[in-house]
Amino acid sequence: MSLKTAHSSKLLPEAVADLKRGCGNLAPRAILCFASTKYDPAALSAQMQGAFPDACLVGCTTAGEIAGGTMMNGSVVAMFLDEDIVEDAGAAVVHNLRGAISVREAFVELENHFRRPISSMDIRKHVGVVLADGLSGAEEKLMERIGDCTDLTFVGGSAGDDLKFKQTHVLAKGQAHTDAAVLLLLRLKRGFEIIKTQSFKVTGKQLVATKVDEASRTVLEFDGVPAVEAYAKTLGVVPEEIQSHFRDHPLGLMIDGEPFVRSPQRRDGGSIVFYCQIKEGMELQLLEATDIVAATRSAVEGRKKALGRVAGVIDFQCILRAQQLRAEGRCDQYGAVFSGFPSVGFSTYGEEYLGHINQTSTMLVFR
Amino acid sequence: MAGEIKRLLDQIIQQRARGDELIVQTTQAKLIFKGINPSRFTSDSPDEPIIIAKIKAIAADLGVNL
Repeated sequence: MSLKTAHSSKLLPEAVADLKRGCGNLAPRAILCFASTKYDPAALSAQMQGAFPDACLVGCTTAGEIAGGTMMNGSVVAMFLDEDIVEDAGAAVVHNLRGAISVREAFVELENHFRRPISSMDIRKHVGVVLADGLSGAEEKLMERIGDCTDLTFVGGSAGDDLKFKQTHVLAKGQAHTDAAVLLLLRLKRGFEIIKTQSFKVTGKQLVATKVDEASRTVLEFDGVPAVEAYAKTLGVVPEEIQSHFRDHPLGLMIDGEPFVRSPQRRDGGSIVFYCQIKEGMELQLLEATDIVAATRSAVEGRKKALGRVAGVIDFQCILRAQQLRAEGRCDQYGAVFSGFPSVGFSTYGEEYLGHINQTSTMLVFR
Repeated sequence: MAGEIKRLLDQIIQQRARGDELIVQTTQAKLIFKGINPSRFTSDSPDEPIIIAKIKAIAADLGVNL
């Protein structure tokens, strides 16, 4: 056995005991755990580290948990990775996300753990997981700093707080942190794959951001006119109606023909506030919603077929997708996509892969 | 004058990727996230000082010496 998952909806400390039982005889080198805010994050982190003193432990609070294809709330889920998957694992915390973010100290800590420079690490054997405070509004800057410092792939999600929008936490090495991100770096025995899937098609209608306030993730103007007016005209609706179209018609930053989704959150006068940053001059495609389950199934099965063997998957799924699946009563259909291999994940306040994105599932696939 | 922007972007991608096609792709993606789409610039693109200054700042962030 190389990888196990477990979950519990009991309170502490019984929940940790449940996870320990679920881990069984496996000796995990790395543990990822994702938990509802019903658990005190500091107590959970300390008790998990106490139960698994030799493992590199990371995690975060969520807006819903996923284990074995089941979407849950009010639970804690965990993935345990042993030496058959992970040759080595190190974690470091990036503090002060709302300030001037620096990842240098965290990278030095990781280099000290692995006893080699990050720049010398094989990008096909090493992968990073990033879990960030989902209310920091700083994930773009964080991902930029990480990407500046390394060519290693970092994938992950923004911590949630069960839609209270008050405080999120990341967990590392027996502690819990807010206004912080945790970086987990894994050296894998058989490598990894990344899946980024979103259920949208490109309409061919383009908007160019011509005036923005990056810090507040607000677009003031597209194509030289107020953002609300331009978005409404492109969509073919009146400005008063646009908010009801936001979920099904976000914008896509196109990279290699793939949209990296930027989701509109709300109108602010003539401006539109997004769930992630749009920079001035960015060309964006208007997107149109397709089927979440079908798109996810296609992405996961395609990768499964190409790889032959999938040891396990971590799914960082946008809360907007989770909410839509719940509203449509399709959680079981979504879960069925993950049958045949162990999986855990959580409903995020944003997804990370190359940058910060929305309405997407980013997945780390262990081979 | 023209072509300086493409020359600088090519240099950033080459220096960063060192021949690894996967890093070529991810570096291009990182540039797009930073607001500069390399595919928009050719040898005929005019040397716009504001964009050149932005690219030089990005190069410094990426640890590339231009």
